[in-house]
Amino acid sequence: MAIRVNPTFIDELDRFGAEDVQLCYQCGDCSTVCPHADDVYKFPRKSMRSLQMGLEQKIETTLEPWLCYYCGQCSTQCPREADPGETMMSLRRWLISRYDFTGIARKFFKSRLTEVLAIVIVALFTGAFLVYYGLSGGSIDIYDGEGAFLPSQFIHRFDLSIGSILLIFLLANAIHMWYLVMVKGTNFFVPWWLYIKEFFQLPWHFFTQKRYSECEKKQEHPVFMPWIIHLGLMLGYVTMLVLVMVFIEQLQSGPDIRWSVHIFGYLATIGLVTGTLYFIRSRLKKSYVQYKKSHGTDWVFVVLLFIIVLTGILQHIFHRTGLNELANITYVVHLMGVVPWLLRMPFSKWSHLIYRPLAMYFAEIRREALTRQEEIIQSVPVLIK
Amino acid sequence: MCGTNIAKIVDVEAVAKYVSGIPDVVLAKTYKYMCSNPGQEMIIQDIKEHHLNRIVVAACSPNMHERTFRNALRSAGLNQYLFEMANIREQCSWVHKDPEEATEKAKALVYAAICRVTFHEELESMSVNMCPNVLVVGGGIAGMTAALELADAGNNVHLVEKNNHLGGNLARVDLTAPYLYSARDLLTEKITRIMNHKQVHVYFESKLSELTGFIGNFKATIQMLNGKPGKINNPVEVEIGNVIVCTGFKEFDASRIVHYGYGKLPNVITSFELEKMIRTGRIETRDGKIPKYVAIIHCVGSRSQEFHTYCSRVCCMTALKYAHEIKSANPESYISDIYIDMHAFGKGHEDFYLRSSEAKTLFLMYEKGDRPVIHKASPKDNCEMLIEVNEKLSGELIEIPADLVILMVGMEAREDSHEIARIVNISQDKDGWFIESHPKLEPVATTTDGIFIAGTCVAPKDIPDSVAQARAAAARILARISKGKIEVDALYSEVLDDKCSGCRFCNQLCPYSAIVFDEEKKHSYIISALCKGCGVCVAACPSAAIRGRHFTDQQVLAQVDGLFCENG
Repeated sequence: MAIRVNPTFIDELDRFGAEDVQLCYQCGDCSTVCPHADDVYKFPRKSMRSLQMGLEQKIETTLEPWLCYYCGQCSTQCPREADPGETMMSLRRWLISRYDFTGIARKFFKSRLTEVLAIVIVALFTGAFLVYYGLSGGSIDIYDGEGAFLPSQFIHRFDLSIGSILLIFLLANAIHMWYLVMVKGTNFFVPWWLYIKEFFQLPWHFFTQKRYSECEKKQEHPVFMPWIIHLGLMLGYVTMLVLVMVFIEQLQSGPDIRWSVHIFGYLATIGLVTGTLYFIRSRLKKSYVQYKKSHGTDWVFVVLLFIIVLTGILQHIFHRTGLNELANITYVVHLMGVVPWLLRMPFSKWSHLIYRPLAMYFAEIRREALTRQEEIIQSVPVLIK
Repeated sequence: MCGTNIAKIVDVEAVAKYVSGIPDVVLAKTYKYMCSNPGQEMIIQDIKEHHLNRIVVAACSPNMHERTFRNALRSAGLNQYLFEMANIREQCSWVHKDPEEATEKAKALVYAAICRVTFHEELESMSVNMCPNVLVVGGGIAGMTAALELADAGNNVHLVEKNNHLGGNLARVDLTAPYLYSARDLLTEKITRIMNHKQVHVYFESKLSELTGFIGNFKATIQMLNGKPGKINNPVEVEIGNVIVCTGFKEFDASRIVHYGYGKLPNVITSFELEKMIRTGRIETRDGKIPKYVAIIHCVGSRSQEFHTYCSRVCCMTALKYAHEIKSANPESYISDIYIDMHAFGKGHEDFYLRSSEAKTLFLMYEKGDRPVIHKASPKDNCEMLIEVNEKLSGELIEIPADLVILMVGMEAREDSHEIARIVNISQDKDGWFIESHPKLEPVATTTDGIFIAGTCVAPKDIPDSVAQARAAAARILARISKGKIEVDALYSEVLDDKCSGCRFCNQLCPYSAIVFDEEKKHSYIISALCKGCGVCVAACPSAAIRGRHFTDQQVLAQVDGLFCENG
């Protein structure tokens, strides 16, 4: 069956950041320099072509965009300045909006105004709710213990409920991704035990981001810089998420400091601060190819993160120095950033936290299933003749 | 010796020694580069000193240096035809490995040349008058350019045009790629100037019906086509010195390719039909709707085994021009450009291609021979037609939505071009294009002296190339006119009147129409200005009544004898 070409698709992807893809004339230089492209996963050349031709059914089932870590070599090398790196990035944005069944991600990517408005509204709601709750049950002068403005048990329950909403969306999107990639887009047999055999890929890629480090080999970057910074940011983020979700009561507790918890808190903060500052600086200076173009959502991402980190640190300082009133106010501001941030996650770039390891996992399963199938075909050549 | 080219295989000293022993040979010398100035000087000195009357140079191919040595003979006061070259480079040292055998062969070749040169005669080239009037056939951009160039230099030009207007195929075009100049602007200036020019005589709705004579002295008969009743329709006879043929091309008939459904599907149109639409100012489908999806298919009739194997050269850029024009007229349109290869060879073309890419033209590549197929779409498809094609760059079998399909029809030789070819006596290739006398070095001359070709009647080409050819042909003619006379090579054949029986066998054979039958004297004679000395008539004449000058039986047989005799 012939695949239908959709000439309008390229205009839609323009909004997701693929502004130069039409210039590509398929020379294949990008795939040659890419440290990750191989015989099975041919990108960026093939992805560029599918995008130009608007082969939506093909793109929604591919893993290629997730296998790219945007080292930017292809964009430097491209003779037509078609920016394959940014094209892969915009395909990731499009895929995020495709996996998301609510259609919110799509709206965010296509209009910065919608996104900012949504964040402001959620932030104001959160703020109003927290102030109302705090004033109705406690005093703004008390930070912890009896009569506290925002008691830790309440914040724990609050965090958990926000966390479960986040989880539900993420899970649903991940399942959608699995369906598109492994069911709709896989026309060969995949044995179930491969899912178990390759399961280690998930934590392995999640915690090491090994493939990102492979991007650096051919680059002129300071040694492994973006990879280390990115890893630090990611680990800081995950640690903080775990601390907030599980150990909030210890974090918020009185003057006795439990170092076993707080040492992680400080480490995570260092990772977050360095990462955020590094990425803001890079995007402003446009120092490397991958930071030359910033989509609206990229800015919302770093700026919001920066606000959260800053208010978090301030709140901690005020709390420790006994300025309870100020601590409570910064706490509310901090949460006004955290809630939209968390709720936005399934609909934004942040969700690559889940999709990337999943993609690596699926990619290995598919690769192995393909090799198995080829072996079977080769062992019984008579049948084909 | 030619440096080491000859000397490394052939023992040239041995050859010289052998040659000096032959009777009648006065002098045999070797030199490192005989064609160099000192080498020629040596020949001149020797001729003067030893009063030599025949010269043989054993060196490279006469194609390379015959003219050089003939000039040397002339400088020494000797007739240039008393010279013969023995080719011991291309035909000996370059093709043999055994030095001994090669030396023997070189000896034989030189001996043969010596035998031949003994019988050489002193020949004089002659000159004929050059009539300054010129006939230009075809009033397209090439014809008009040539006519103006010649008339501006003060010569009378007769311009014959088949239609009732000037402009040719260019008049059917709106803008021109890649700089988007208006074709009308390009033409109007030329047409106005031609119509007001005192020295250009335009014959509308006419054709060249007969051409007699030879270079510098042609007589052309111009006849009205389909003379209207009641009007006197006398053929005009003009005297001219040279002819430029600029009859142009016709477009390929797209209905010959059934895959494309041209003539059956209402919204499949040819490039010229689109030009017409653009000139009326509205690009729309047959139902008057603005097409959302427009597809352009390249190489219709070109670059295929079934139709024409050649590339029509202008369609790629014209297609990009359409993409530009359609997108400018309807910004909501999406254009798919379905091509085999994008030939952006000329000045400004690659930039034009880049600009088209920037405007988001979707380029889709198909394999030569694996043509797209156009189907009618069903109502749920939201478009008029679907084009199915194996896309080469993605490797997918795809279908492209289209509301309007434009077929980039290629160029073809006109169906009446063989008639022109016969009248002016030039040849055509397998595709019907006129053949130039040398594809690289003589691109506008033909094998018939005084007949020039320019523009798309030679091969598909774009406007700048056509204009350049027209001006080149005009320049060639102007150079001859300014000389007033033209030298004709002394190598032609002649009929020995007393031997000719008047069988007229040679008349039909002559590829240059140089042999004419004299009804009064009842024998044939050769117009020496037209004869190229090819020797066909010499070989064919049953009564051996034709003699090829410089290639007489005696000379050729002597050479053959020299080559094969035992002692040689």
